[in-house]
Amino acid sequence: MAHLNITFNGLSADYPLELDAHVTDADDRRIAVEHVRSGAMVALHVPHLADNAFDNFVVDRMQNGMRIYLRPKVPFGA
Amino acid sequence: MKRIIFCGVGALGSTAAVLCRNLEPTLVFVDFDRVESKNLLAQAFVKLSVGKNKAEALKAQLLNFHGTKCEAFGVRLGAENVEQLCGAADLIVDCFDNLASRTVLSTFARAKNKALVHAAISGDGTFGIVRWDERFKPDAEDQEGQATCEGGEHLPLIGQLGAALARVIQDFVKGGERRDVMVGLKAVTPT
Repeated sequence: MAHLNITFNGLSADYPLELDAHVTDADDRRIAVEHVRSGAMVALHVPHLADNAFDNFVVDRMQNGMRIYLRPKVPFGA
Repeated sequence: MKRIIFCGVGALGSTAAVLCRNLEPTLVFVDFDRVESKNLLAQAFVKLSVGKNKAEALKAQLLNFHGTKCEAFGVRLGAENVEQLCGAADLIVDCFDNLASRTVLSTFARAKNKALVHAAISGDGTFGIVRWDERFKPDAEDQEGQATCEGGEHLPLIGQLGAALARVIQDFVKGGERRDVMVGLKAVTPT
């Protein structure tokens, strides 16, 4: 069982994902939009989230792909 | 461990450095920029430091207020001088604000097998990460000249992320542990 973690507007939530095959970054973004819209992610429910809400987000795959993080870009330190 | 080098001492670098003043190694600061009055809202500088080089100003503040062992290099770090500036580092802390400088540090650290940890924050000041170089890929700005979180609005998140970075540094200094974290508005999440 993989887990998709989404950070949006400063809030983070996990969602368990049953994956039969490798999913692309674009798939992850589309899955994320559906879950956030549906209310499936506790504490991260945005019913009218735009289709392109995560287009500029980064997908990190950690722990051999079992943890997938969808997060905003972080270009700044200063 | 003798030297921790902070590359970039703006919002994240200066905040984390202040919270590393309890550590034994000498803190070394590298930054070419100068303190502006607007920086006082989100960076760990005091009014007397306005107009001074950031690296020199932070060194003076930590030395005078806390007696912390510090060194400062008020220069722009690049491929041509990274060896001189970071060659003696036991730990490099990347708090730069651009992809090119972060890439210079990663290239150097990987070539020389140096410990390097990155701290990075989103442009809207709602999210940040601390990640060791072996798992870090720098993000580019969405567009050139994208606004950074310069005002005081994002100071609480900067404080949280700076504190998380300081703790990650402390854990590495004490036991060699390399933890990654994500910081949002409501949580600090080990990753």
